[in-house]
Formats: sequence, C-alpha cells, structure tokens
Amino acid sequence: MKADDPNIKWIEEPQLGLTGRMYLPLIVQGLTTTTKHLFGPKVTVSFPEERPLIENPLIYRGVHRLNKDEQGRVKCVACFLCATACPAHCIDIIGVESPWPDREKYPESFTIDELRCIFCGMCEEACPVDAIELTSLFDLTGRSREEMIFDKEKLLSVYDQTKDAEPMPSVRLGITPAHRGMEGQH
Amino acid sequence: MIAPLFAADVASQSPSWVASHAQQIQIALGALLAALALWLILPRASQRGRILGGVLGIVSLGLFAAQFPRLGDWLDDSMFVVLATLTVLAAAAAMTFRNPVYCAIWFALALLGTAGLFFFQGAQFLGVATVVVYAGAILVTFLFVLMLANPKGEAYYDRVSWEAWISAPAAAVMVAVLTVSLSQNVAAAPPAPQSQADLDRNILAPQHMAHLGKHLFSEYLIAVEVAGTLLLVGLVGAVAIVAADKELPGRAGATPASFTTDLGESGAGGRHA
Amino acid sequence: MMRLFLEATIKIAILIGGLMTAAAYLVLLERRVAAWVQDRRGPNRVGIPLTKISLFGLGQPLADGLKFIFKEEYTPAHVDRWLYTLAPLSILAAALATFAVIPFGSVIPPIGEGGPIPLVVAPGVDVGMVYVFALSSMAVYGVILGGWASNNKYSFLGGLRSSAQLIAYEIPLSLGILGVVLASGSLRLDTIIDQQAATGVWNILVQPLGFVVFMIAAFAESARLPFDLPEAEQELIGGYHTEYSGMRLLLYLIAEFLHMVTAAFLIAILFLGGWHLWGLTGSGDEITLFTAVLRIVVLTVKVLATIFFMMMVRWSWPRFRFDQLMSLAWKVMLPLGLVNLVAMAFVVEYRQWFAGTGTWAAVALGWVVLIGSSVGMALLAPLSSDNRPRSASEGAARQQIFS
Repeated sequence: MKADDPNIKWIEEPQLGLTGRMYLPLIVQGLTTTTKHLFGPKVTVSFPEERPLIENPLIYRGVHRLNKDEQGRVKCVACFLCATACPAHCIDIIGVESPWPDREKYPESFTIDELRCIFCGMCEEACPVDAIELTSLFDLTGRSREEMIFDKEKLLSVYDQTKDAEPMPSVRLGITPAHRGMEGQH
Repeated sequence: MIAPLFAADVASQSPSWVASHAQQIQIALGALLAALALWLILPRASQRGRILGGVLGIVSLGLFAAQFPRLGDWLDDSMFVVLATLTVLAAAAAMTFRNPVYCAIWFALALLGTAGLFFFQGAQFLGVATVVVYAGAILVTFLFVLMLANPKGEAYYDRVSWEAWISAPAAAVMVAVLTVSLSQNVAAAPPAPQSQADLDRNILAPQHMAHLGKHLFSEYLIAVEVAGTLLLVGLVGAVAIVAADKELPGRAGATPASFTTDLGESGAGGRHA
Repeated sequence: MMRLFLEATIKIAILIGGLMTAAAYLVLLERRVAAWVQDRRGPNRVGIPLTKISLFGLGQPLADGLKFIFKEEYTPAHVDRWLYTLAPLSILAAALATFAVIPFGSVIPPIGEGGPIPLVVAPGVDVGMVYVFALSSMAVYGVILGGWASNNKYSFLGGLRSSAQLIAYEIPLSLGILGVVLASGSLRLDTIIDQQAATGVWNILVQPLGFVVFMIAAFAESARLPFDLPEAEQELIGGYHTEYSGMRLLLYLIAEFLHMVTAAFLIAILFLGGWHLWGLTGSGDEITLFTAVLRIVVLTVKVLATIFFMMMVRWSWPRFRFDQLMSLAWKVMLPLGLVNLVAMAFVVEYRQWFAGTGTWAAVALGWVVLIGSSVGMALLAPLSSDNRPRSASEGAARQQIFS
C-alpha cells in the first residue's frame, strides 16, 4: 500500500500544550504516578501462606469430584455422557450391572486423567444426575503421572473433602429424593 | 648520527671486524629479518610461510629490543617492554589479519598500547585523548562502516595486501632507524635530573591539564582554532550532503519494500550464510 | 613504593568487592522496585538456604548468581567465536576500570606515617573526567562487537543502535560536565567535590540546566529506560546480548549495572556535592575517623538515591523512538548544553559579582536559565515528531536516503 493510498485513514498525534512541550512538567507528572503506586496497596497474594479469594466456588472449575447420594453411594449411573462430552478424552468409565434397584448400571471404575483434563466443565454440564462436578480446589500437584490419574475412590474422597464448602446442586436447591421421585412420575 | 652507522667502512677486512661492528650487524640483521617476516606474514595470495614469518618477526624484534638502553628500574623496564611488545604485536596483527573487523580490533589494541605508553611516560592527557579520539570515536566509526559495507569481507582487494615487497622493507627500515636513533641518543646523553623549577614549568607537572590548556590556548591558539574550523567545515559538509540528498524529489521510484530488503542483505545475518 | 602498591591493592579489592556485591543487590533492588511500582511484591522468598528464613529476599542475588554459574556455557554454532567471547570481557573491563578515578569517599586519617589516604584508587590522575569519557567510549566496543559477532540481525541492530546512541550522547554529556569543570577549574573529581564543599553551594543549585542535560545524557549513556533502545525487548528480543547465556550474559548484565552505578556516582559527585552535606561533614582535609566514615555514608546515600531515581524513571516513561532519541540529542540537548556553558562562563568571568551574597544571584541566574531555555526549546523545537511519509514520492525519497 502506497503512502498516498486513499484508503489510509490518517490519525494525527495529539498536540501537546506548552507544558507538554517543555517536557519537564510531564516528567514530574509521570514520577508522581509511579511514586503513588510505589506505596500503594499490593495485589500479589503470597500463595502458600495466604489463599487466594475465589469469589464464587460454585462456578469455579478446579479438581473433579464424584458426588454421593444420601446413602453414601456414588451418584453416577455410568451413562458415559461425560466421557462422550469430554474434548480431551480424559474420562474412563467401566460400567457394570447395578446392585441397587433404583438404577440399571453403576461405575465399577471411574478414572479421570487430571493431566489430560483441560478443566472445561463439559462433563459437569453433560451429567444428567449431577454426579460429576468441578470443585474450587486449584492447587493440584503430584510427583508422578500415575498419581495424577484419579480413580473412583479418590474422586469420592474429593467429594467428602469439599461437600461442606460446596454443596451439591440438589442439596443447595433443597431438592429431596421425594421431589425427584415426583418428577419421575410426571 | 645514523649516517656513519650505516656507512660502516666495509673496506676494512680485519678479523675483528665482526666484533667491532656487532651493533651495526645486529641492526642490519634485524631490519633484514623484519622485512622478510613482514613480507611473509602480510596477507598475500598464498598462505604459506606465515608461521615462519611470525617466528622471524619475533627474532627481529628481539634483535631490536637488545639495542634499547635500560631504564634502570626493573619495574619500569618490564612495564615498558610489556606495553611496547603488546603495541608492536597488535600493530603487526592489525596489518596481517584477513578479516577487516579483526584488523580493526587489533588496531584498537595497538592504540590502547600506545595510550598505555603515554600514561607510562606521564603524558596523561595524550594517553586519554588517544583513547577518546582514535579508539573511541574514529575506530568505532570504522567498525561501523566495515560491518555495514562488506560484512563478508570477501572482496579480493580487501583480503590481500598490495605491493608487500615495497611496504615490508620500508616498515623494517623505519623501525631500524627509530631504534638506532633512540638507542644512540639516549645512550649518548641520558636525561639529566631536572630541578624543581624545571619540573614546575614542565608540562607534565601536577596541574598537568591546566598547563596543557594554557599552552594550547596561548602558544598554539591559531593551530587549535584552525583545527576546530576544519572540523566544523567537515560537519557542515556532512550536513550539506544529507540536505542535498533530501531535496531530490523521489528519485528512481524505489518501492517501499526496498528499505527492508536492503537492510536484510547488508545486515550481519548474511555474513556466514 | 611498596606502601603505594599496598594501598592501591587494598582499595581495588574493596572497590571491586563492593561493586560486584552492589551490582548483585542492585538487581534485586531493581526487581523489587519494579514490582512495587506495578503493585506487586517482587522476589521476597529467598533467604538463608535450607531454612525457612526469608530476609526480604536478600538471598535472591546469591541464587541468581548460582543459576548463572551453573548454566551451560553455550556458544551458538554461527557466531564469530573469538569476538563473541571478547565482547563481554571488554565491556566489563571498561566498566570496572572507570572506577579507578571515581572517589568513593573523601580521605581517611593517616595510618602510620604519611598523609591522609584519599579514597580513590588512582589519586592524582589529573585528567579525571576525560579518563571516564575514554573508558565509557570503550564500552561501545563490547556492545558493537557482541552485536556483530552474534551474527544475528536483532543483535546487530541492537549493537548499531547502541553505538550510534552512545556516540551521540557523549556530546551533551561532555557539555554538561564542562559547566562543572568551568566552575571548579579542574577535571579531577576530588577537586570538584572539594570546591563544592568549600563554597557549600552544590552545582545543581547554580546550574540546574547543566544537571538536567547531564542527567538525561547519563541515562542514555547507561542505556536505561527511556533510552534503552539497544536492548528494547519488544523490538529486538534482547538486543546485542540476544545470543548470550550463562556467565557471558552475566558479564554483560553486571557491566550494565556498573554503568548505572558510574552514572549515579558522577551525578552525585558532579552535581550533588559528593560527600558534602551542610553542617554535617565539614569541608576541609582535617578530619577525624568519624567524619571520614560520615562522608562515605553521605556519598553512598546520594548514589543510592540517584540509582533509586533511575529505577523509578524506568517505570515512569515509555521508550523513545530512535529518531526522537537522535533529535533529542542533537536538536535539544546540544543547544541546551551550550546555553548552560555560556551561562556558567558568564558566572565564572564575573565571579566578583557573584561572591558572598552574590551566590544567590548566581543560583537565581541558573534557574532563570533553566526555565527560560526550557520554554524556549518548547516554543522552537517541539519534540513530538510525526515521521510518517505522507505521499508515495516522499516515502520513496526517504527510502533513497536510508538505503
């Protein structure tokens, strides 16, 4: 494109006043700003001693958990919707015949590879029974790859760890099994 | 003083001729070796004999150095010898390297050696001025040009020295003459210790700079002014050349891309490509 | 002779040890200040190794140094091997050698026989300031050689920019110094301090314009922001040290910080009165151990304050464009330096008018010159410069000039 192309829109520099052209007043102005910030409040969070404030833990997407129902059983019905929805293919479920009368299948094994997971929350959205959820735990570390593959027990233990701070939607919204049974009947 | 030395009576053929003319023979041999060495190590079409040249050069330097009068103090002596050797070797390297940038660096080292010699003699201002003017300004500009103009340094005329068979003997004779005159003069009349009044008048006295300034701006005022004017003329000339270039309206419709491609080719990036 | 040798060796040891430590801790200070200005906290964790004690991050320089030492000494295949190694050495050598003539205190009382010991490595170097100039011009070699030997376009551009910048700003730098030299009548740094201490009037009071010119030129000479074009990260990656790593990079970084320290020392000595502080340090040569230490402390505090100011400046203004940098040097700094020189020459020539209470007249004159020339420059040569070519022919003409 040539410099005199009619399509070029020229934007002019703002014209400085006399104080601006003298430059020294501007220097003082800039230094004042920096000095203010020098003594101003700091935004850094000193992490291990000081936990960052997560404003709404319910919508935060951290480590997964597998929810339990009132009888302490895993809520999952091994429908594979989460595994299908997962863009990173990090969920691996083995579903078997359920020993309980209220559902057909339950997961014999439920593993999530936390290293492959991208924490997008699709599994949570896909789950029809609110069995898988993302918690607000963010400092997920491990010393080996194997350690970072979470099996069912570990995911259930995450639930135990976080259920008080972040109740399940059913608990949060006060939905009892009776309600659900009625819904089913309709 | 020099003439009788070189016009040594060759006619006398007595057996003690060699013994009585040892010094002259040393000088002549040194000059001969120096010329040969320089010719060998100068960048010619063929690379052969450069190591031999280097060895010969060191031998000839030793022959010359044997002529120097001692300064008396071993510390002074060794300081001088180190600085002088450094300077001479760096200067030789500056002539003989093929890569122009390396030549410039060696030249800078030679200048630093010279500045060190000036410092050693107490001429602080000269030493510092050598560094500021030559090493700091002129040579940096040189380097600029060398790096920008011909980064590959492959042009034939850049890589070989012309007429080495003249320049090498000339340089050798020059060094020989300087050595002879220095050694003869100092040996003949070692400088007498100066009185305090002399020292105070001396340009090297404390308040060195003040003395020097007084000299420059009183006795040599016209020279200083003329030199200043000359530099000013150069500056004005440079400005005039740039200004004349600018006034030309868009010569030879260069495309906007030409700037970037030009820079790309002449940058250092292409040097080893 | 032996005594002189011993004295010089001790001073060199103190100075080099102090400077290297200072350079390491200035890196920490720089990072902390940068963090504070940006509302962060900065590196505050590293303390005593193997314990949980973190002394405000004072162990950080040690950790940094260890990291540099244990890094691989990597030489890229495409570089010019000799010059690549030589460049950082030469720049560090020049930066350290500068301190030979810079006093780091006044004098200390005599030890044994002999007079008081001046706190400068090479006392009595009469060319003082010119020596500093000579070595600062040697610093160009390290930069330009490093840039060229790296055989990398970014490095080379950084080297070229740097050498052009350093050479251009040496002129306003020397003009700023000339005013001081004129006032004190000597090029020796200790004499310059003595003169300010004797009259009690710091040079910044009499020639604020010279101070401004010198300060800006010193910023440019030490390649600090807003003049850090040689290593402008956003444009040139790392500039001339793009290809360097490990110890060689460390040498470059130390040299950079030493340039900053040199600039701070010169500003403190030339314009801020060196070790002098009214009513505290006295002014003569007859001193006790207490005043000697006090003078060292005063000078150090001034130097550190100047360095802190330089670090603040770094986060206060954006970087200049290269053509703005050059026009600032030649069109603004050069005339202002000359104006200051003429004003100083006037004060020195008619010094009988300005003696005694007339000092206030000299101070007033200095400030009038500062404000007057600043306004004059604003009216004559606005620094804002829109350099975009507005037509095809204009663009082509400019290509011709540059190519």
